[in-house]
Amino acid sequence: MAEKEDNAFQEDDHRAAYVFNPLSDGTAAAPSAGAAPRPAKRRRLPSKKAALSGGSEDQPSGFVSAGFLPLFNGLESPGAVNLRRELFEAAWPVLEGRVQNVLREANRSTLDEVSTFLRAAEGEKDKIPAGFIITGPNIASQDLLFEQLAETLCKGSQTRFVRLRSAEAPNLKATLRKIIRDATVRVTGDNEEGDDVEVSVGQDGRRYLDYDLEALHVSLKLQQSRRVIIAFQDSEAFDNGLLTDLIALFHSWHDRIQFSVLFGIATSVELFRARLLKSIARHLFGAQFDVVQTGAVLDSVFKSAVAGSHALLRLGPSLLRSLVERQQDQVAGIQVFISSLKYAYMCHLYANPLSILLADDARINRELLQAEHIEAARSLESFKTHVEASVEARQLNHARSLLDEDDYLVEQILEQARKRGDYLLQLLRSLHLIAASGLISTPFTDLYITALSEGIDLTSEKASVLDPLQRLGPDEVISLIHRLLSAIENGSPELDLQGWESDGDELVASLSEIRDEVEALVEHAKDNRKVLKSKYSAQSRVLRTTVVAQKVQLSHDTATLTDEDKAFTEAIDRLAGLFSQNVNCEPVASLFLHEAWVYDSKSPYRDVFVPRPGITLSRALSRPNDYLGCTCCSKANGTVTATMPTTAVLYHLYLEAGALINVADLWSAYYALVGDESDIGMDERTALVHFYRALGELRAMGFVKQSKKKADHIAKLKWI
Amino acid sequence: MTNALFQLPDELVLTTLAQAFPCRDSQIRALATLLHPAAAPCRNLVLYGTEATGKTAVTTALLESLETEEIDSEGPSLKFAVVNSVECITSRHLFESIVGKAAVALDWDRAPSKCETVSQLAVELSKMLKYTSRPDSFRFALVFDGIDRQREAPPTLLPALARLSEIIPCLTTVFIVTSPPANFLRTSFVPHLRFPNYTKAEFVAILATDPPVPLPNTTAQETADLWARFAAAVHDALAHAASRTLPSIKHACSALWPRFTAPILTGTHAPREFSKLLVAARVYFHDERLLDPGIVAPTVPAQPAPNGTCPAANGSAPVPPTTLTQTLKAAAAPTTDLASLLPITARLLLLAAYLASHNATRHDLVLFSTHHHGRRRRRGGLSVGVGRGAGGRSKHRKIARKLLGAHAFVLERMMAIFAAVRGEWDARFLESGGEAADAADVGMAIATLASLRLLVRVGGAQAGGDPMDRGGKWRVNAGWEVVRGLGRSMGVEVEDWLIE
Repeated sequence: MAEKEDNAFQEDDHRAAYVFNPLSDGTAAAPSAGAAPRPAKRRRLPSKKAALSGGSEDQPSGFVSAGFLPLFNGLESPGAVNLRRELFEAAWPVLEGRVQNVLREANRSTLDEVSTFLRAAEGEKDKIPAGFIITGPNIASQDLLFEQLAETLCKGSQTRFVRLRSAEAPNLKATLRKIIRDATVRVTGDNEEGDDVEVSVGQDGRRYLDYDLEALHVSLKLQQSRRVIIAFQDSEAFDNGLLTDLIALFHSWHDRIQFSVLFGIATSVELFRARLLKSIARHLFGAQFDVVQTGAVLDSVFKSAVAGSHALLRLGPSLLRSLVERQQDQVAGIQVFISSLKYAYMCHLYANPLSILLADDARINRELLQAEHIEAARSLESFKTHVEASVEARQLNHARSLLDEDDYLVEQILEQARKRGDYLLQLLRSLHLIAASGLISTPFTDLYITALSEGIDLTSEKASVLDPLQRLGPDEVISLIHRLLSAIENGSPELDLQGWESDGDELVASLSEIRDEVEALVEHAKDNRKVLKSKYSAQSRVLRTTVVAQKVQLSHDTATLTDEDKAFTEAIDRLAGLFSQNVNCEPVASLFLHEAWVYDSKSPYRDVFVPRPGITLSRALSRPNDYLGCTCCSKANGTVTATMPTTAVLYHLYLEAGALINVADLWSAYYALVGDESDIGMDERTALVHFYRALGELRAMGFVKQSKKKADHIAKLKWI
Repeated sequence: MTNALFQLPDELVLTTLAQAFPCRDSQIRALATLLHPAAAPCRNLVLYGTEATGKTAVTTALLESLETEEIDSEGPSLKFAVVNSVECITSRHLFESIVGKAAVALDWDRAPSKCETVSQLAVELSKMLKYTSRPDSFRFALVFDGIDRQREAPPTLLPALARLSEIIPCLTTVFIVTSPPANFLRTSFVPHLRFPNYTKAEFVAILATDPPVPLPNTTAQETADLWARFAAAVHDALAHAASRTLPSIKHACSALWPRFTAPILTGTHAPREFSKLLVAARVYFHDERLLDPGIVAPTVPAQPAPNGTCPAANGSAPVPPTTLTQTLKAAAAPTTDLASLLPITARLLLLAAYLASHNATRHDLVLFSTHHHGRRRRRGGLSVGVGRGAGGRSKHRKIARKLLGAHAFVLERMMAIFAAVRGEWDARFLESGGEAADAADVGMAIATLASLRLLVRVGGAQAGGDPMDRGGKWRVNAGWEVVRGLGRSMGVEVEDWLIE
């Protein structure tokens, strides 16, 4: 196993906390041992394999399989490990590509608008065309947009595109340098004859300063292009003075180099305008472009990557809900969502041995499933529920075989893989029908999550679909049926759902039947000059006013339903029945062995994407024995003891102190705890060393700082 | 003819120029006298005047025509170079541009070496002008455009440049500045030439040279007449208050013209009925907002826009506006609301920062503590202020804190306020059981607000330290209107949480 040598992962690499144990090190490095078994230095050596074969195909496999360790304490067979690896390699890149596609599509209309605007503004003489792109506050997602802009705008035309980020533009000189470099470098990159175009040397041998736009001018003249587009990606972060200077400079060069500017704006154009001087703003004329907002993008990404039938792994409802809520509440762009998705895939396929069940039937067989797999399956929650349920249902044989016979269980497992596909198909079709019916306005994301967690059951009280359906008028019913039929016929390309006309011919037939019937009734009612109504849509009780002898009489009257109306009511009832019959699914948690293909644990995600350093630090400092696992302070239980690490002791004292802490007092309190009279009996010099080091650590962690208000005091910085 | 002691340039040149630049006749003649090699060429010359009075344009055009004229005749010759200080980033850049442009003007083929200081500049120019044999009457004019705006200029730059012509006799240096301080060149007797701003008659005359395209169902002559009277009216209405320079008057005219002539297009009034038109368009003449040089397209359709921005303006560009309110509404429409852009945590943080900036620290306990009363004892800023005002007048009147601008606050204080108000303002937060105030998401929200410059670190880079240092000082950079809107988007009346 060559890869084991290359990437010798050690146990310590994956532990949550590193426990420093000087004693064990001390015995190992005892002088008697002589040649102490030092851990081999991990050096970055050029891989032999790569050096030999120049291997481009060897590299990735070695790299990836390194991450996939045999689970079950190393008992997992290489075949299963490989299968997991292949599953991940096959699933994620496809999904990622689809997501990227969705994101790129989302920006398309903005791109078109911007390029039309810039093309139209080409001949502008005295003003600089400026596009203001409202990107929203998410800076990470701007990158893709500007990348696409660069691609679109540079295509075909002789245009240079320069992207500026505030971090790269500290002052005028550096910014100009970057602009000139970017605008000229691409020339040499694109063109074979670019060698004779030097950045700093013009054709007459004159050298230019590297921030001299003359150099850019000369280089552009050689390339017969006059257009340069400068994109300020995060315009808010740019210095006002810098923007002013740049725009003034661009304007003064405008007769020689055609500058256009694009601003990525996170807040609003008005706020941006307010930052510019009037005399500078006069030089710009522009148009505002809106980017598709995060909510809409999230919906389509969700449809294609989470809900779509291409997604291999299903994310569980609680994880999904927290992901979606985070998108709404926090400053987390769509990129965070995608990486969370990837992380969920990785967690499942790297760490869950049962994830091999995700593979299609041809790939798993009896040999692949080891005894450990079967044992793991038996320990699942859903297995337990299933067995208990079958005992309740008096299927004792089934339950017993599940528990005792491995082969029987394997058979069941393999069958579940097929059932999974059916379940998903049914789920997606139901959701698609609900969405297509347009009866409720809940966004698809919520619909999907609710369907996973609670199932779809239209007959239950909570479901609010049937009520509006029953109240529909005849014309609406017909159009609803049309929508449903076309949904069945076309499926949903976003969800990768094919039309299922052939599967659902029964449904299609009954729907068309109801439609024909309602149409006939409508015709009939039209002939009779009546309005068709149903039991639900008509007000069954009508308040009638009659004027008799100059007095108003109110009388309640029950509207009578004609025969047509009754027939229509009956048709609607049938439609509702049909709908609720075809649109249903169970909650995902009720399925047997769903743990193999649903990933629903929140805590790894939270630990990685929403770390909480403050809480972690204060917890570790207030109860260090939980982490160190030492016996000496096990009975401390939240109080301070002398045996704790000095920093933890000081942290306890720190919590009791006020805003300003006298260091001398702190020292005396500490020394009283650990000094000669205490159980430890540390001598003063050692205690002082410990004290200073701990104080230094507290300062490094940002708890205290030097105070200028009082001599010999430190100020408390963290209160919450 | 060549030996005449004093000879003005060809009258034809001056007349052509005077036509190209109306109302600048005297300046052109004076300049020609002072620049022409055969007239009274001077060493240094200062041209000054406010923005857009034709200083640069007249000088460049005059020098160009003088140069070409001299090439034709056998007489004294003149070359020139114009250096625009706006384009020069450093003084070294300025010197190199001077040398470069002079070399181009003189067809100097030797590759110039680098030129970092004034003394090197003097050497380079001497090489080109002094130590090369030129005809006796040769002059070289070096024009420094906007030299008073030069970046990174050492204080000795201007006097040094003024000395160049003492070293090189055939050099004329022209300084174009906005308003020169007395004796700013530190040399005696420099002729100054003033380019005054235009008077009303001159403005109208200049605008009349460029009448707009004739309106439909009128003749070109009628349109031109109407344009002239219209320009005079615009000048009377707006020039003193809002637009004193030629470009802004032009902008105002072009912004108002379509609105002014709308009745003619619809056929309500004839182009000769000037006073009726004026009455109809009276409201526009009162409004200075139309003159604001907006940076977004909605103002563009006011000009006869050949650039076709309207379709690209994302549907926000209004149809040719008919009433003022409609226009203004359209101008306000494209505002994308900050509240809809920022997620909830960021909004809460921004509000907390605003409260931290605008409340005194000593009031924090009253505002945010729930310790003694179970419910917070809240004192609304407005009600307190009114009550006190109605009662006895307080002895020292203070300026409202809101008007004083944002104060700096310690990050930890903002976080404490955030933690205190979060439970009350965000219903979902309580449902979810509450989270730590220092989770990574909160840090990210702060970083985003900082990158949007809605929160600003006080002390900046020189204060150093980690941006997440709890002791760091910050300041909110969002105005009252924005914050109030933000608060209302979450059902919070920020006014209630401010104490004067």
